[in-house]
This record gives sequence, C-alpha cells and structure tokens, in this order.
Amino acid sequence: MTAQTIRNTARRNPILASIGILPIVLIVTCGLLALYEPRFLRSSNLINVLRNASFLSIISAGQMLVIIVGGFDISVGAIVALTSVSSALSIVWLADLGIGSTAVIVALGCLLGLIPGILVGLANGFFVSVMKISPFMVTIGTMTMAAGIAGYVTGGTPIYDLPELFTREIGRGSLFRLPYIVYAAALVLCLLWYMQTQTRLGRYFYAVGGNEKAARLSGLNTRKYIWAAYVLSALLAGIVGLFLTARVGSGEATLGSNLMLESISVAVIGGVALKGGVGRIPMVALSALFLSVLSNGMSLIRIDSKYHIIIIGIVIVIAVAAESYRESRRAGHG
Amino acid sequence: MADETQSTPLDMRAIAPHLLLPLAIIGVVVFFAALQPAMISGGNVVNIMKQSSLFFFVAAAQLVVIITRGFDLSVGANVSLVSVVSSMVMTSLLPGLGTGIGVFAGVCTGLAIGAALGAINGALVAYARINPFIVTLATMSIFTGIATTVSGGFPIFNLPEGFSFALNQMKILALPIPLVIAGAVAWALHFMLTRTVHGRVLYVLGDSNEVAHVGGRRVREHLFFAYVTSGILAAIAGLLMTAQTGSGEPNLGTSLVLSSIAAAVIGGASLRGGTGTISAPIYGALLITCLSIGMNLQQINGSLQPVVIGAILIFGAALDAYRTRGR
Repeated sequence: MTAQTIRNTARRNPILASIGILPIVLIVTCGLLALYEPRFLRSSNLINVLRNASFLSIISAGQMLVIIVGGFDISVGAIVALTSVSSALSIVWLADLGIGSTAVIVALGCLLGLIPGILVGLANGFFVSVMKISPFMVTIGTMTMAAGIAGYVTGGTPIYDLPELFTREIGRGSLFRLPYIVYAAALVLCLLWYMQTQTRLGRYFYAVGGNEKAARLSGLNTRKYIWAAYVLSALLAGIVGLFLTARVGSGEATLGSNLMLESISVAVIGGVALKGGVGRIPMVALSALFLSVLSNGMSLIRIDSKYHIIIIGIVIVIAVAAESYRESRRAGHG
Repeated sequence: MADETQSTPLDMRAIAPHLLLPLAIIGVVVFFAALQPAMISGGNVVNIMKQSSLFFFVAAAQLVVIITRGFDLSVGANVSLVSVVSSMVMTSLLPGLGTGIGVFAGVCTGLAIGAALGAINGALVAYARINPFIVTLATMSIFTGIATTVSGGFPIFNLPEGFSFALNQMKILALPIPLVIAGAVAWALHFMLTRTVHGRVLYVLGDSNEVAHVGGRRVREHLFFAYVTSGILAAIAGLLMTAQTGSGEPNLGTSLVLSSIAAAVIGGASLRGGTGTISAPIYGALLITCLSIGMNLQQINGSLQPVVIGAILIFGAALDAYRTRGR
C-alpha cells in the first residue's frame, strides 16, 4: 500500500523520480544540524565542510567512473599516499638541484609526483582489461604494493621542508574566501559531467559497463575504455593526493588511508550501481556533500570519532538496502 | 580425444595444478633455508606449523563464502572483536569463577559472537540481497568501530595462563594444539563441502543462482549459513590468535582481510565462485606463512613485505583468470 503510494507519487512527480531521495535527506540533515548546533552555520565551518566534500567528490568521481565500467578501485587511498610521498620527494629533489624559481620547482614536482599514481592506474587497467583479472583482486594487490612502497621510501617519517609556495598557497590559499580545492573540484566535476552527458566517450563508458559483450560486439574497443577509467581514477586520486599533501604540509605515507572506504561509500550512496552502467556526477557530488556534512555534524555534536565509522557503515547498509529494494520492486512489477 | 586424455593416468596437464602449490611451498622453504639455515630448525618448523594453522582459519572462512561467489571483508574485524570481547569476559569472570569456567565462558562467547557477526552478514547478503562486497565492507567498519569502542582502543591484558596454554602452548602427540584443531576443522569442513547437501548447494550457488533456485533448494538459508560458518571460523582464528598474543587486541585482525583472500585464491578458490576445495586454504596459508616467516628471517624491511604479498595476490588472481578462461 505505502510502496504503491510512493510509486504513484514518483510517477506524478518527475522531479522526485529523477533526483531521488538524497537531496531531501541532505537538506533535512543540514536543517536538524543547524537547529541543534548553531555552530554548524558559521561560515568557517561551512567552508570546512565544503573543503572536505571537495576532496571526497574528486576521488569519488574517479571511483564512479571505474564502477560504471563494471569494476572497483580499492587502490585510490594508496595512490593518494603514494602521490603524497612522490610529489614531496620530487619537490625536495628539484629544490636540491638548484632550480631558482620556486614556482617551477612546485609545478614540476607536482607533475613528477603524479607519475607513480598514474603508473598504478595503468597497471590496474592492464590487469583488469587485458588479463581479465577480477578488479577487486587487482586493485587490492596494487593497493598493498603502493602502500608498501610509500612506507618503504619514507621509512615511516614524513617528508618536511616543502616550499612555502606549495604549502601556503596551494594548501591554504583561497579565492573569494573559498579554498582552491573547491574550485578544483568544481572544475573536475563540470568536466566529467560534460564528458558523461555530452560526449561520445561518456556514452561509451556507460555502454561498456551496461553490457560489455554487447558493446564489444557493436564494435567498441571495450578494453580501451576500461583501461581509461582506471587511469582517470588514479589521476584524480593523484590530484587529491597533491592537494592533501599541500594542506598537511608534508609528504606522508599514511595520507588518505580511509579515502578508499569513503569513496566507495559516496559512490554507493550516490546511487552508482555496482553491476555497472549506472551513475551520475551530480548525485555523486551530493552524496560526497552529504557524507561530509554527516561527519562534520558528528564531530560538532561531540560524537566520539570511534562511532563515526560505525554510523557511516550503517548509512551505507541502509542506502544499499534501499537501492536493492527499489530494484527488486521495479523488477517485480516490470 | 577427451576420453583419451582423461584415461591416461599420468597426464601432466591434469596433475600439474595439484602439484604446483606443494612444489611452490617446498621451493620457498628450500630457498629461504639455503639463505638462512634457521628456516628449518626445529623451533622454526613448529612456528611455521602454528602460524599457518592460525592463518588457515581465516583463509577457510574466506573460502566458504568465496565458493558462493561472495566475499567476506569483515573477517579481520570479526577476529578483532572476538579477541577483545572474549578477553573481557575471561578477565571479568576469572576472579569469581576460577580459570576453568572463565576460559570456557570466554571461548563460548567468542564463538557465539563470531556466529552472530556471520549471521548479520548472512542476513544482509541472503535475505536483503545486498552485494556481499558492500555488506562486508560496511560491517567491517561497524565491527572495527565496536571493537575499538568496547576496548577503549587499548589491549586487554591479564588473560588467564590456562587459556594461552590450552589454545596455544599445549601439545598433543608432539603436535602443537592449533595444528590439531586446524586438522579437525579442516576434516569437518571437507566433509561438509563434499559429503553434505549443504556443501553441494554452496557450489551450485557459486556456479549459478538460477540453477540452485530451479533445483528447489531453499537457497537463501544455505547462503545465510555459509556466512555463519565463515563467522565461526573467523572467531576460532580470533581465539587462537588471542591465546598466542596473550592479550585481547582491538586491531588484531586488521591485516588479515587481504591475506586471507590472497591465501584462498592462491590455493585455488576461484573468485567466479563454484570451485575451491579444502586444500585451497591449507596450501594458501602454508605458502604465505612460509614466505613471511622467511622474509622475517632475512630481515626484509617490514614495509616491503606487503609489496611481495600484493604481487603474489595479483599473480594468484592471474592464474585464476587463466584457469577459468575456458568456462
């Protein structure tokens, strides 16, 4: 009875049908938080939430691309750590070479720092698309290897002595009171949204994930798109790694250890179907915002950080259960 | 043609897969023994037997659900939670009820918790029909959170000596007790997988869900119990590891998730479901244990060891992909 009513409402109200329940949950959460804890609405706090949401949405966008082509990327967190270490090392190395301009050092250092992460992405893509190994196994393997290498290179101690330009300007600089990472996230999300909805490449990603065999038989080089998704995901994780390193102010092998879990949670809460072929950027961005608001709110109302992972775990289960319930009703009433 | 190859008793293509792993294990042991004779000293062999027996349980926990084309990422969190709670039960009951009852209650609580955690996973996978990867990813963070919350993040010391004697140091016929328990459990699991309806249904489930449905079995119940079995096996691992460490540790199982999957897959369980026998966790556990003990003896940097394990994992998965390409 109630389910029928909801279905009818959804049919009558195309907006609700297309955007789903997530925006409502987000607004309700924000409203409750604002009522219960006025500090939530302070501009410094809101900027903080936006910053976290930006980190999360960039990395989750990469995760979404990989899930759309029917895979998984467990190595994103390790790529963040690896990029942090490699970019810090290359900046320090370039500075030792005696290059005069700090701007050149930072720019080159960031570019060099992205290389190991992209190599991991290339390896992921190769093993998954060419060797046809389960993406789960491949990325869990590259995750341990990348994290191990990052830990070995640093020997457990962070890499300090990064130039001011890097740590202060990129890490803490802001434009119109918003940190740079927010603009970076907006740019990345807009580009990906454009790619997914307006270009042929975007359609191909969905086609490969929706039905790989059909896509291959209709002449697509499916390997190429699967490979591209893993490389893009690694690149986005690398970019997050750069910004996080600048924010923390040192190259750390433990950076981003919980980003893997969070990025998958964001994708799943944002309605990206694990069987592939489904997933939209705006929903992923909203879901990243939701998760950031949730953890910010939990800190504000002083819920012990140990409970955070419990609550986030429960939220994931509820989100996925709701999704599979909807799915089964749709299938049942075809 | 096909009949001919099958009837030849010494067909290398049929035997090779069965010989590959034992040979690899022997190869690893010989390699490290050549570098460092301590590898095959009496003490180290006992150590290898103990470690691989402990590791066998998590790998077997993984095997039972991998057969059904599932996953259990929460085994590590399960181990941690069992370790913490059973230690707390033992230390709190000890003064009043004495060692015997305290240890017994602790072990029973541990097993019950393992079964309960497995039942939560199983209910979400079998009845709510959520992807096992997501279910166990979420329950992993929930169980880990509970383990750190309950213990306050600190190890629980002062466990009764009887506990660590009974589950770790005792020897039966010169065999360390973990090995004896592992042997008994391995036999029971083998019996369950090959000789009971439940076991056969698990393989069918992994092959094809529809077939199992059409076959008229109550598929969901069997899937549910696969996760319960997995939870209990992880709990046994948690108890034995606690006995070895001598304290309840909230992060005892953190590193086990990856290596348990690695062990099961290298041993020959396919992630595509439907295959894998009891030899998979046995060989897998032995191989990985020999490797890591050997690397420790060679004093290879602790951060590089995961790199080797990760490479082996990918290699094992590549082998799996190669084996099942024809299917």
